[in-house]
Formats: sequence, C-alpha cells, structure tokens
Amino acid sequence: MSTALTESGTAATTARIEAHGITVRFGGLVALNEVDLLVPAQSIVGLIGPNGAGKSTLFAVLSGLLRPTAGTVLMDGENVSRSSPQERARRGLARTFQHPELFSAMTVRDHVVLAYRVRHAKSRIWSDLVTGRGFRRPPAQETARVDELIDALHLGDIQHRPVAGLSLGKSRMVEVARALAVDPKVLLLDEPSSGLDVKETEELAATLVRVVADHGVSLLLVEHDVELVLGMCDLVHVLDFGVKISEGKPAAIRADPAVRAAYLGEEIERADVQEQIAKIEQGEPA
Amino acid sequence: MLSYVLAGLGLGAIYAIASVSLVVTYVASGIFNLAFAAMAFAGARFFYFLNTESGWGILPAALVTLLLFAPALGIALYGLLFRHLRLRSPLVKIVATIGVSVALPPLIDLVFGKLAQVTAPGLAPRPLSVLRPFGAVVNMDQVTTYIGLAVVLGLGTAVLRFTDVGLKVRALVDSEALTSLSGTSPTRVSVGVWAASSSLAALAGVLIAPTAGVSMEGMTALMAAAFSAVVAARLRSQPIAVVVALLMGVATTVVQRYLDPESTLAANLVPSVPFAFMLVFLVYYAIRGQAGDSSTGGALDRAIRPEGGDPALIPSRPRAGRGLLTVGTVATVVFLVVVAILPAVFDVYWTGLAAAGIALSIALLSYTLVTGEGGMVWLCQITFAGFGAILTAELSSTYGWPPLLAVFVGSVFVVPIGVLLGVLTIRLGNLYIALVTLTFGLLAQTLVFTQDPFYNFGAGTAVSRPEFAMDNAAFAYVALGAFLLIGLLILNLRRSTAGLAMTAVRWSENGSRTLGISVVQTKVLISGLATYVAAVGGGFLALNFQSSLPDSFNPFIGLVWLAVLVTNGARSIMAALAAGLLFYLMPGLFQTFLPSELAEVPILLFGIGAILLAKNPDGVIAMNRRKIAELSERWRKPQDTGPGPEPASPPDESREPVATVGEERPVTTGGRA
Repeated sequence: MSTALTESGTAATTARIEAHGITVRFGGLVALNEVDLLVPAQSIVGLIGPNGAGKSTLFAVLSGLLRPTAGTVLMDGENVSRSSPQERARRGLARTFQHPELFSAMTVRDHVVLAYRVRHAKSRIWSDLVTGRGFRRPPAQETARVDELIDALHLGDIQHRPVAGLSLGKSRMVEVARALAVDPKVLLLDEPSSGLDVKETEELAATLVRVVADHGVSLLLVEHDVELVLGMCDLVHVLDFGVKISEGKPAAIRADPAVRAAYLGEEIERADVQEQIAKIEQGEPA
Repeated sequence: MLSYVLAGLGLGAIYAIASVSLVVTYVASGIFNLAFAAMAFAGARFFYFLNTESGWGILPAALVTLLLFAPALGIALYGLLFRHLRLRSPLVKIVATIGVSVALPPLIDLVFGKLAQVTAPGLAPRPLSVLRPFGAVVNMDQVTTYIGLAVVLGLGTAVLRFTDVGLKVRALVDSEALTSLSGTSPTRVSVGVWAASSSLAALAGVLIAPTAGVSMEGMTALMAAAFSAVVAARLRSQPIAVVVALLMGVATTVVQRYLDPESTLAANLVPSVPFAFMLVFLVYYAIRGQAGDSSTGGALDRAIRPEGGDPALIPSRPRAGRGLLTVGTVATVVFLVVVAILPAVFDVYWTGLAAAGIALSIALLSYTLVTGEGGMVWLCQITFAGFGAILTAELSSTYGWPPLLAVFVGSVFVVPIGVLLGVLTIRLGNLYIALVTLTFGLLAQTLVFTQDPFYNFGAGTAVSRPEFAMDNAAFAYVALGAFLLIGLLILNLRRSTAGLAMTAVRWSENGSRTLGISVVQTKVLISGLATYVAAVGGGFLALNFQSSLPDSFNPFIGLVWLAVLVTNGARSIMAALAAGLLFYLMPGLFQTFLPSELAEVPILLFGIGAILLAKNPDGVIAMNRRKIAELSERWRKPQDTGPGPEPASPPDESREPVATVGEERPVTTGGRA
C-alpha cells in the first residue's frame, strides 16, 4: 500500500490507483510525457484539459487498453502495468468511455445483469452452458442489486429496451450503471456529463457522490464541464499537450495563475460568475 | 529455371490483375468483392460463348467481353446491390457479395448453357506459338498475361495520376463523404470503379481459363490466391499486392521444378503456396499489431458509418419474457409438427431428401452460433462438417464404433482445428476472418478431402446408419432429435451468462475487456462450439448418405449453405431447419416437376436470398415473425407479466416511449479559444 500527499498537504491517504512517469508516444507524437497521477481511496479526482491534452490516452493506460511507452500503474500499491484490462477489472477497476461502448443488441437491464455476474458469478459464463440456468429466474440478490442500480440511474422505464437507439445521455447512464454493477474500487468516468441535460447531470453527480460515500469507491473523472469538476472533486489534475501543468484542490486550481491565465481562464471565470449568482440567489453574500 | 520463373510470372500476372481488381473496389467502395470469382467466371464464359461457340475472332470477342459485357455487369451489380451496401456493416457486405457469388454462376449457366467441357482458349491465337528467350520456353498465353498486366498497370496509373477522373477516384478513396460535399457524385465515380473492376475480373477469368478452365472451381482457386496477395497488401496497397502476386506465381511454379509432378507432395504443396503466403503475412502483421480490418474512407466517413454491426441486425425487442404462448412459440411448434409429419407422409425419395435436409440443418446451426451469435463470418464450416463426416465414417467403419457414438465423439476431435483457427484469427476483423477461413476451406479440400484413403474416387468411406434407424423415416427422426437437442443447447447458451458475454464481445470488445470479460476465451468458446456442431452435422450427413462423400464438402457449396441460411435468418434456430430442408427439397421439386434446364434455379434463388440480406438482415423467418407479432400486438391488450427468466426481461418494454435527449446542458470546453 502506498500513501501520498496532496498538493495542499492536508491529507495523506491510501491510493487506489497511481500512475508514475507515464509516457506514451505514437511515433513522433508525445501524447503523454511523464505524467504522475494519484487517486486516493474514497475520493473524487478530476482530470481536465483541452482536446488533445491526453486525458483519454491516460484513461486508456490506466484501464490497460493501451500500454505506455514508459511508466508504471499501481492499484492498491501493486504494479499492474503489464496486466490486461480484464485483470485490472478483476482487481476492481471499472470505466466508462467518451463514446459509450455499449453492447447494441443487449437491453439496458442485461448490461447491468452481465456486469453483476462477471463480478459475482463469473463461473456462470461456463457453467450456464450445461446447467440450463438461463431458463430459470435469477437469484433474488442479483435482482435486488440490479434493480437498485437501475433505479439509482433512473433507467427503470427503459430497462428492457435494446440500448441501440438510446440517447447519448441515457447511454452514458447505462455505462455508469454497468460500471457500478461490478462493485468497483476505482471508477474511471470519461466525460460522463456529455450529452446529459441539466437534471440528468445533477442526478448523476448526486448518485456518484452517494456511491463514493456509501461504498468507498474512488472516482477519476475526465470532464469538460469545469463547473461540475470543480464542484464535486476533492482533487483536480490539469493536463495540457500531454504534460501535467497543475494539480490540487479545486480552489487551488481556480486560483492557479498559470492555469487561469494560460489555460482555463475563460471557463473558470464563467464558473466563478455562476457560483456568485448561485450565492446571491441563496441570499448569501457574494 | 528461367522457364519456371517466366511461367510463374505469367501465373502471378493473373493473380496480380485479380488482386488489383479486389483492392480497387475495396478502397473505393469499402466492399470486398467476394463475388470476384463469379464475375471472372461470367466474363470467361461470355468470351467462350463469343469466341468458341459463336465463332467470333479473338480480338472482337475480347473487346466486347472486356469493354462492353464486363463493365455492364459491374454497373448492373452496382446499381442492384453494391450501392445499397455502402453504409451496411461488414457482415452484411460480406454475405451479400457471397449471395452474388452464389447466384451469378447459375444465372450465367441458364443464359449461356452449362459447359460440359471446361477447358478453353485464352487471348492467344491457337495453335499456341512458343518463344524461346535466353533458351527458356514461353508460350503466347503467358505472353498475353504479361501484356495484360502491363496494360492494366500502365493504363491504371495513367488514369489515376493524370486525369480528372483519376483525381476523383483518389478523392473517393480518401473520403467518400468529403468527395460528395465537394460537388462530385460518388455514385458516378463508383459506377466507373465497378465497371473497371468487373473488366479486370473478366480479364483475369479469360486469362486463367486455358489452365484452370471455365469453371467456378478454377475461378475460386484464382480468387483464393488473389486473397493472399490482398491480405499481404492489407487490403489497400496495390503495389504490394502486385509484387506479392508475382512472387506467389513464381514460387508456385519454381517449387515444381524440384518436385515430381506426379507425386503426392507436389499435389499437396503447389496449391498450398498461396495459403502459406497468407499465413506468413498474417503472422507478420499480427506481430506488428496491424492485422485488424483497415478502415476505408476519412474521419467523416467513419463518423457516419455504423460501428460494430448493422442497426438492422439488432433485435427490435428482447426475445425473453413473453410467456409460453407467444407468436414465435406457436409458429415454432407448428413448424416442428409439420416437419415431424413429413417423414410419415412422404415416400422413400422425399423422406430421404427430408432426412438429408434435417441432417444439414444441424450443420447450419454452426453458422447460427458463429455468425448469428458471434457476429463472425466463417466460411469453412462446411470443411468442419467434412472432417466430421470423414471421422464418423472412419471411426464407424474402420474401428467399429457405433455410428451415433462416432458422430458425437468423433466430432470432438475436430474441435481443436476450429479452436486453432479461432485463435489465429482472434485479432482479425470480419473481412480477414472470411478470407482466411475460405482459403483454409479450399486448402483442406485439396489436401484432405481429395486425398486417399478418404477420397476413394469420390465415393468416400462407407458408413452404416444405426440399426434402429436404417430406413429414411427413422433416420429423419433421429436427425430431428439431434437437431432439437443442439437447438435447445443453443437456446440455453443464448439466454445464459455465456450468451450475454458473447453478445457483449460481439458489439464492443473494449467494453467487454474493461468489464472483465476475456475476449479471447469468449471467441474461442464460440469457435469451439460452432466447430463441434458443424462436425456433428457433417457426421449426420455421412450417416444419411451412408458415405462420407468428400466432394459434397466443397467450400463453394459452403457458400450456398450460408446463402440459404441467411436468407431464412442467421440468428434463428428454426431458420436453420427451414434452410436445411429447402436446400434439399427445393432442388428435388425442380428436378421432379420442372425441366432439367432449370435445375440450377434453386441455387440462383438461394443467392438472391442472400443478396436481399442487404435490405432485410434479419432473414425471412424473423421478418415474418416480426410482422405476425405486430399484427398480434394490435389485438392484444398490453399486460405486464413481471420478471421473466434470466436475463429477466418483462414484456411490455417495447411499448415504452423512446428516450429522448432532454434539455442539453451547456457544455463548456476546457481548451483554449
């Protein structure tokens, strides 16, 4: 197990997943250059940056879909750099994708059912072939957990529809439900709010915060919605052109002159204005 | 030695012309033309009709064939089929082009008559004159192939590099969508490409005819060799395809210099050369991580292209949870009752055909598994069936095993072959899998099925049916029982966790892997199961015909099997039964009640059925079931029957409103302005 100190120096915590010196080169292009990242237990960490900054590449490295040119990835202190994506999934890593990777012919519910079984009854992938369990009703425990997730993500009314044809927002919700069904220790979310409306985004944020609080899951969030990131994350990393230019608590990121001036200024100003307006509306001093 | 090299260059030149044709259509339209052999056959047959049967001179016959007939054929096929495939999934594209390859030869035979004698003259005047450069011997047929390739490459390069048309074609290759947006009609350019490609196919067919004959077998062998060059070129690079084709030709002839042409080794080694080339390049690209399907077009084309599969292949509603008395269940029971009655009411001849059809339907269930469930186009299922037939016959006749034990246990020995092939092609896209498996099937046909002691002058090894099922009716019921047993296992698989995992892997490998599902294990599981089922089906076919009959497991017949199955439905178990029965009963009907000239019409119809897959990817049975269900829905009051069997899927989901994107949250971007 490893520990780490956040930038503010306030919390030394066990890291669920760590990346050290991650470098990824595609021919002459350096997509990531010696990037370090740490996601403490039971925390929400944000990863922001412009298009092409390397966020999705880093996600691919962390989840095992892409092998880095250099660097190591640790989960709960163990080196998983050479582990396959499914091995990392078995260790408790789950993720969603910027472009949802759903199983088009399967229903919403089947996505969650499969994910639940992969985690809790994996041998059924083989044993079902000879036991005929496919014809029987699922165990009550499975049904309860699947129902719980579907309700939490507000998917009840579409749970028996094939996912093909769902809106982007609903597709993201399905991906999140599927990811949560494996009871992950670390959940990587790639732009989860993209395509969601205001209400859906608020509900998703509330669900994620609840998951972190209730189940001790650690979240790493790639998000373009700066307000969402700064509002719900404990720690934020900022990437630009494959290099980490800043990390710290949201307030520190908000105040970081380098980030503000050179990188996020416009968005942060907008988030600041929205925060001021919200405070005024709630009768608080601006 | 030089004579061998020059002869090899002649053969390689024909391979090169074929591979250029395949690459051009693939990069320009995204369609890999598996109907190439049929188009080459059509061109060669038309040339033969003009030149040999109608007495035209070589030049006018060649000009009319290559500049009128072949382009017209290409344009017609483009208008009727290929243009509808543009945005279809690779699976539909492959099967639809297979439909053309199945339908076109019988259509040509119907129009021009079936050839009894397949040897034909080429473009060189007869009698053949011979040149002797540096002491080597080159005949004029070989010289015409050099000239043919030189003209194709010279003309092709000039058109592509220096003309306005060439510029448009190159633009189309880069991005059809952007070409369209810039005001150029992709349709017109595509028509030109297909016309030119069809001419190349006809040229290759005419040039290969003197050595391979005007037959589909000869053209298919040519196409398989061209596949190797195209795989080496990763489907895109014409120069590499041409160079590898020439090398293959030279290797094929040079190797004969060191072998006794009458020896078994020569008979085995020579046809294996293209497959060996393909294997070497596949391994090379696999090591370099470049073995997947290469995507055609630009970013915009990829954005508008269906990913993973065809939307039309997605079931419109779940199959589970509607209770016992559904339209599908009732239709299934009625169909099974009708099939069960057939052996009781038919005479011996028709019962024999029905029994053969039921036995075949077992083998067709392997396509239901590998293509319907796994989404992979394997074109060698018939080869596994052939292995099953041979093993059943050998184990039963030579080693005295009870026939049914020989079928079910013998088929286990075939599984490793399928698993090995599955592992080899695991990282390949659908197109590569189709090419590799078809080539493997052709190789097995040459190296195994036509070799003694299995071949026995085409009669194969005799095998007896079980004692309790010696007559056709009893055997038909045994076969039906086996079909139902395997059908139930597939149904169980489909509804099981394994079935969900297979579906998951089919639609998103990344999604599956990050969920913890092993893509390799899942695909190997499908490969193994499908191989076993195919072998069992082959075993039952052998029992039905009471011989292994190795000639009946030709890969080209396998394409017809696939065509007739997908016409009925690749995902439906009952479709496999219907397809098997149709495959044997329909020709029986034509032979019994219609003139003999129409004997090949059923094959033509099967091919057309596969072509229609482009419009109805679900197949006839699923389409009709859906229509009946929709009619039934109108009469039914919506009712909720609660959670169904695993995976639980309550019944009224299809009536829920479609989720829509609500008010979009203004999404900010973190990048610089």
